Amino acid sequence: MKTIYLALKYLAILLWTSFVALPFLWALTTSFKTANGVTGGATYIPWLQYKPSLEGWKVLVRTGGQGIDIVGPYISSAIVTLSASFLSLALGTLAAYGLSRFSYRLGFLKNSDITFFFISQRIMPPIVLAIPFFLMLQFLGLLDTIPGLILVYIALLLPIATWVMVDFFNNIPRQVDEMAMIDGCNPIGAFVRVILPNSLPGIAVAGLFCIIFGWNDFFFAFTLTFTKTQLLPVAVVALNSSVTPWWSLSASALVSVAPLVIIAFFVERFLSSGKMAGAIR
Amino acid sequence: MATIELSRIAHTYEPDSDEPVYALKELNLVWNDGGTYALLGPSGCGKTTMLNIISGLIRPSRGNVLFDGVDFTDLPTSKRNIAQVFQFPVIYTLMTVEENLEFPLVCRRMPKKERSRRVREVAELLNLRDKLKRPARKLAPDDKQMISLGRGLVRNDVSALLMDEPLTVIDPQLKFEIRRKLKQINEHYGLTMVYVTHDQNEAMTFADTIVVMNDGEVIQAGTPQELYNRPETTYVGYFIGSPAMNLIDSRYVDGRLETAGGSLPVPEGVSIPPDVQTLQVGIRPKYVRFTDATTPETLSGQVNMVQELGNSRVVTVEINGEKIRMKLSPDTTIPEREVRLSLPEEHICLYADGVLLCRDEDNVCLSVPHQPGSEAEPMG
Repeated sequence: MKTIYLALKYLAILLWTSFVALPFLWALTTSFKTANGVTGGATYIPWLQYKPSLEGWKVLVRTGGQGIDIVGPYISSAIVTLSASFLSLALGTLAAYGLSRFSYRLGFLKNSDITFFFISQRIMPPIVLAIPFFLMLQFLGLLDTIPGLILVYIALLLPIATWVMVDFFNNIPRQVDEMAMIDGCNPIGAFVRVILPNSLPGIAVAGLFCIIFGWNDFFFAFTLTFTKTQLLPVAVVALNSSVTPWWSLSASALVSVAPLVIIAFFVERFLSSGKMAGAIR
Repeated sequence: MATIELSRIAHTYEPDSDEPVYALKELNLVWNDGGTYALLGPSGCGKTTMLNIISGLIRPSRGNVLFDGVDFTDLPTSKRNIAQVFQFPVIYTLMTVEENLEFPLVCRRMPKKERSRRVREVAELLNLRDKLKRPARKLAPDDKQMISLGRGLVRNDVSALLMDEPLTVIDPQLKFEIRRKLKQINEHYGLTMVYVTHDQNEAMTFADTIVVMNDGEVIQAGTPQELYNRPETTYVGYFIGSPAMNLIDSRYVDGRLETAGGSLPVPEGVSIPPDVQTLQVGIRPKYVRFTDATTPETLSGQVNMVQELGNSRVVTVEINGEKIRMKLSPDTTIPEREVRLSLPEEHICLYADGVLLCRDEDNVCLSVPHQPGSEAEPMG
């Protein structure tokens, strides 16, 4: 009975792992193939089944007018994602602290309604927002620019940051703030000196979400830019021309996933280090 | 150091409601400089609310908080010279014990040298000396509570130390030790201390003045002896002392108090108002005695139950349905069934509609019929 249970357990894990990992393996092998390698069915083992080549990787960096340059979009994407994430985190954390610790009244609206308002921004399908965003950026003259994209991404990421942080602050006992104020901090001092250092795990989680959503967004990067500014997801998809270069498409996909994997790895390490235990009791 | 006065303070947590429930009904209290006070009352009676009003964590719905006569009602917590210890220890998890103790001084921009001198002094006092460099979150709950307390003590500007059931997380053995230490600190620094508890023993051993609260009102404030011997209301009589005060229903007939099983003389100096609804004879269990006399002043009844408490025994005597408890020394011989009890007149408290009828010599009594919050109740 126990062996059957174990076997089933490992089978399930194996199935799920394959489902998650095989696309990456597929992309990895494909990125080292040439046009010949990708025709005639799936092959996996280099040298034995196909002749590996660095062709797919080489074209990613434009050298002397050759290749397709994803370095530019990569940098643009990094600037947009990091700035939008940073600003969303900063604003979201402040908003969340206020929503968690003070009572606001706006007519019949209370704190929970305001929090819901933040989250509700993400309930609409993005397509609904496309036209308003387009018109607003046009009005501001920020279409097809990095600052314009940063603004839009803040609108998308702020709800996530606020939502995660409200929940996190609600779990930090109020007595910690009160104690800090008794010890002589004003409310802002209590926030900066005591609550913020204790909130790093929450900020890390919120930041991770922001970076993932920001980095991976294709829809707004696509609809709000034309020629001057190009973000990475758009650049990768743009490789898809009449003849799809599967090898460089795979290589660029891997390159664009890499930073998220690295960040997730460190954030996970940081979260599991258990710095949060025992704030009270 | 300061005398803290609560003037016509009242607080509700639902100010927008049409009929708000008051956590604290209008009251006046004075905390004298250097005194030790215990706020005693059941959970939810407004004790914590009162502390938070003093420290400024809550702004009272009505009334003023005065420190040495100066109105502090609108002053933020950080500007008041109040230290507070909560029921559960609050520590700054990412800091060491030393940094925790130092924190209030850092907030006040005290020079480093002075800081470490004071931290060492307080750490010595609280037995935290050899734990200074350890991360605060790794300490046991009682040590964490010592840190909470220590953060109050390092400051040299503290006028009062407020403690909200601070020993909940601490072993009974250690509780005694810490209470003694708090007393020492009170004597040494002359710090006003307000100690919230629902444990009467804790209140009795710690405080010079006990303030009994119930349902958002101050019922009585006085020394432990006053509260024990002359409870102003039946509630205090019931709440203070273990076992609780005996309360025997009686009727005023022909100048005597008719009770179950006998009739008692009216205690000297007490006059009974004409329109009394209920009249109760109150007496502490330790003053009730067996007697052989069969005068009308003695009550006859049957022994119902004997509880051994080690250093004493509690005997319950049933008199026509009324139960009277006696606290006797363990070597007292207890008659088999029929007993007569004597209730010494000098220890009898007479309650009209739940409020003590004063004798001439009573200094605990208010000059007017008891109406909580209707006038200042100076203490200490």
